[in-house]
Amino acid sequence: MGSNRKSLFRGWLTAVCVAAGVCATALIPPAEVFGVKLHRTNILSCLSHFESDERDNVVEYEADMERLEEQIAMIESTQAVPAAAADSVAADPVTISYEWRTDDFSPVRSARRPSSEELRPSADAAIVPIEDFDTLPQSRFDRFVERLVAGEPVRIAFMGDSFVEGDILTVDLRHELQTLFGGRGVGFVACDIPFATSRKSIKRRSTGWSSYSIMKPKAAPESLRDKFFVSGYMAEGGAGASTRWEPTEPYPTLAGATTARVLLLSRDDSRVELTLNDTLSRTFDISGDEALRQIVVESAPYRSIAVKVLEGRVICYGVTLGSDDGVGVDNFSVRSNNGHAIFGASPVINRQADALSGGYDLVVLQYGLNIMQASQRNYSKYRDQLRDMISYAERCFPSAAILVMGVSDRCVKNDDGIYVPIGSADALSAYQRAAADSCHVAFWNTYEAMRSMGGMKGFVANKWAAGDYTHINYGGGRAVARALMLPLREMAADKMAVRERAEQAERRRQMQIEEERRQREEQMQQRLSVIRNMVDSLAGDTLTFHKEE
Amino acid sequence: MELPVFADNIAERIETMLLFDEASPMTLASGFFLAAFIVFLTGYALVRRAVALRTIYVAAFSLYFYYKLSGIYILLLLFVAFNDFAIGRCVARDRSRGRSGRRWVAWSVAVNVGILAYFKATGFFVDLLEGFYGEGTLDIGKVVAPAGVSFFVFQSISYVVDIYRGRIRPLGHFTEYLFLLSFFPKMFLGPLVRNDDFIAQMQSRDTAPSREDVGRAARLIAGGLVKYAVLAKCIGVLLVRPAFAGEMGDGGIVALMAVYGFTMQIYCDFSGYSDLAVGVALLMGFRLPQNFDAPYHSATITEFWRRWHISLSTWLKDYLYISLGGNRRGRLRTYWNLIVTMFLGGLWHGVGLTFIAWGLLHGVALALHKVWLAVVPGAKPVGREMPWWRRLPGVLLTFHIVAFGWLLFNASDMQQVAVMLGNMTRNFDASQIVPFVESNWVAFVMMGIGYAMHALPASFDRGVERAVVRGGFVVQVVLIVAAIWCTMQCSAMLEAADVAGAGLPIYANF
Repeated sequence: MGSNRKSLFRGWLTAVCVAAGVCATALIPPAEVFGVKLHRTNILSCLSHFESDERDNVVEYEADMERLEEQIAMIESTQAVPAAAADSVAADPVTISYEWRTDDFSPVRSARRPSSEELRPSADAAIVPIEDFDTLPQSRFDRFVERLVAGEPVRIAFMGDSFVEGDILTVDLRHELQTLFGGRGVGFVACDIPFATSRKSIKRRSTGWSSYSIMKPKAAPESLRDKFFVSGYMAEGGAGASTRWEPTEPYPTLAGATTARVLLLSRDDSRVELTLNDTLSRTFDISGDEALRQIVVESAPYRSIAVKVLEGRVICYGVTLGSDDGVGVDNFSVRSNNGHAIFGASPVINRQADALSGGYDLVVLQYGLNIMQASQRNYSKYRDQLRDMISYAERCFPSAAILVMGVSDRCVKNDDGIYVPIGSADALSAYQRAAADSCHVAFWNTYEAMRSMGGMKGFVANKWAAGDYTHINYGGGRAVARALMLPLREMAADKMAVRERAEQAERRRQMQIEEERRQREEQMQQRLSVIRNMVDSLAGDTLTFHKEE
Repeated sequence: MELPVFADNIAERIETMLLFDEASPMTLASGFFLAAFIVFLTGYALVRRAVALRTIYVAAFSLYFYYKLSGIYILLLLFVAFNDFAIGRCVARDRSRGRSGRRWVAWSVAVNVGILAYFKATGFFVDLLEGFYGEGTLDIGKVVAPAGVSFFVFQSISYVVDIYRGRIRPLGHFTEYLFLLSFFPKMFLGPLVRNDDFIAQMQSRDTAPSREDVGRAARLIAGGLVKYAVLAKCIGVLLVRPAFAGEMGDGGIVALMAVYGFTMQIYCDFSGYSDLAVGVALLMGFRLPQNFDAPYHSATITEFWRRWHISLSTWLKDYLYISLGGNRRGRLRTYWNLIVTMFLGGLWHGVGLTFIAWGLLHGVALALHKVWLAVVPGAKPVGREMPWWRRLPGVLLTFHIVAFGWLLFNASDMQQVAVMLGNMTRNFDASQIVPFVESNWVAFVMMGIGYAMHALPASFDRGVERAVVRGGFVVQVVLIVAAIWCTMQCSAMLEAADVAGAGLPIYANF
């Protein structure tokens, strides 16, 4: 058998062994070698999968209304019990809120009241209205604007996708609202996020946590999977885990927060240390419980705040930096979320967080970017999902009005490699509007607003958006935030005008009453003086008379 | 050790995999091809000695693979095959009756060039018309060239011309011609084969690889995969594409590195895929011609075209340059023919100013080199014949002329060429090299490997080949498996970094 004997068998065997060998490489688990992350190479990936690899899989949650109602009913019953039972039964009620008021704290009212003129957008502004489909005698959105105008504390939960990641858009929305109505601080900031992000409005340095995303729940230990909040990210850590937050000052209103609320969950007893301005510390002993708890800090305006686990294990969601009054806007952005992540968040945690915040007044749902496809114009399935999302939001945040923000404009590459408007944004917007309509909540057409500012092409030309023609940047965020503020300001201006007129009428009435009173008094004085004169003259007569006597 | 969990609907999934999927056309580097090739080889072994049956078998598989690559365009392939098969017979009949058969050749060329022109130039003329009359004047949609259309059209023209020139006799059976035209390893990106040589192999009674062939095939496949699916892909996706798209800023360093990057990318991409094709064919016992021979070692532009895409430059020489008269009609006509040949070669890549400029650059450079050879005493056509001190500057100069050509080749329009050249000259800040390399180190490592591999002498290459052949079966299998694992790892990493690139070779567009 010479080496030059021709044989197909050898070629065939080579191919077969290569195929077998390549299939076998799938058994090599993902690993890290010299800092390089090696992936699993499964050539049969279209036919098979590895369970452990699912850890990185993004989960598509489904709405489960029955379960939601069950859980809500459970919360409502347990919330009712302790209040009634606390006094009668000597049960040790769990401390829900730990408080720390520093010595330098002095209550400052930051809320301000703008005049209707200040609120009123200029006459030539192109306003895309907020459509309110509420059918209640006083619509919930109306009530929200009423609270703004009345100078009551207002909390806004802004839930969105990567479009608002890094506080894009919300940073300006918050700034505009706080400039008009008062309030301080950047709102909610996560404790730790499992990937690198940056946020212009705050610096975060965290270490020692294991953090999980609601989009990839299988990466989290099973016991934590039902503990997600709508913020989308949780960090779990033992002794040594810490995070420090430091607001930056792109806007004067954002720094200078006077309150901080650290949201955490400690199943077993633990000890947590909070540090203000890197100098002032305080330790808290948290008793173990399944409930969401908070540590509330009240202080003079602070530069930084840090949380550190000293003992035990703690799930930390994040911190809300704000003030007692005025407006607070919490950015809950979750990358590649279509809004369905809310189905995966725990209604219990959501309800508890809502209660701890004092009750959200408005929930904004900004989604759709990840579901939109150039060729698809029918989004009826997504409309139905959005209805469920709205129901979830309503049940989890019972005091809040809901505002659905339509999908933003984007461009896609055509066959020639040129970016053209996607063409299906108006279709998706219409379906989102229909969902808002049937759920009787408010809707704002983001696409329309962006189009009136030149569309995504105009945004890119203005350097308001990234080169992917999909994501706006801070500049674009400011433009959209201002556009969203226009109808809000107009509604507030109308309300403020009514209020001003009423107050004016009241003042006038008061003045009138005052005038009448004054007049009455004058009359009285006059009468009195007449009488006095009469008496005087009478008395004089008498005296004279007496004298004469 | 964790075992995979298989999906419930495997049969259904396999069924869909067997159909053409526009989103992922089948290449020789795909897992599907590996599986299909094993099935193919099994049957091939059974029919290998029955030449007629074997021809039908290979032709049928080739057609199926073409369908997996191009879908409905299989009809175009069948049309071209049938047209030129019939024309070939007509030419032979004319010749046997003492006529030249010229009219048939003209017909064949007209049909084939017409097909090419339709797919290449329609877009250009639609753009031109729309430029004059506004967008949407001609709404015929986007014309997408079928995969490998140039290669089978060129092959088909050469078949008819060879019969006309009396170099081959027409094939007796249509399936034979289908085999010649659509033989699956070369169908997508060549190499173009010499008809007489390939027909002899096709009709040989004993077509099977020797031990040495299998060893060489293993090296070609492993090396080809790494070049095509690791080096070229990484350089392209991580450096060239973003740099040419302007996403890396307008620094001179960026522009320069993008050009050096593309120069290596296109070589790795094209030669890697060619190696893969040659290797796969070798496993079946077919010898396809070498398509690349360390082209950037060339010391002159003439040498470059003897080392770059050899099968195409041979084709252009045999069927275009010689048809124009070659060098037999005087010196000036020779220069003219060179320029025209390269101009048409450029035009073939796409109707557009950048490709025309690319063709003219090479045509003029070739002509100037011919002048140089004629007027400078002692000038040599290839580097081998030069002393090192003349060869080295020659290599550097040739490399940079070629690299400049690639800038023209890859730019979207002449404006981009001007912008990038402007960046290189006006905006060049040498201190930016280190940070730029640091922030794009993966691409530069790949580029470094590419250039280092290329810089090694041919003897090293032969040494590796001998070692693989001697290493035997296990070494060969491990080598290929390792190469495939690298490509899969590479695409998984790129995907994880969210920069997964297009899966098709650059030349798929031409």
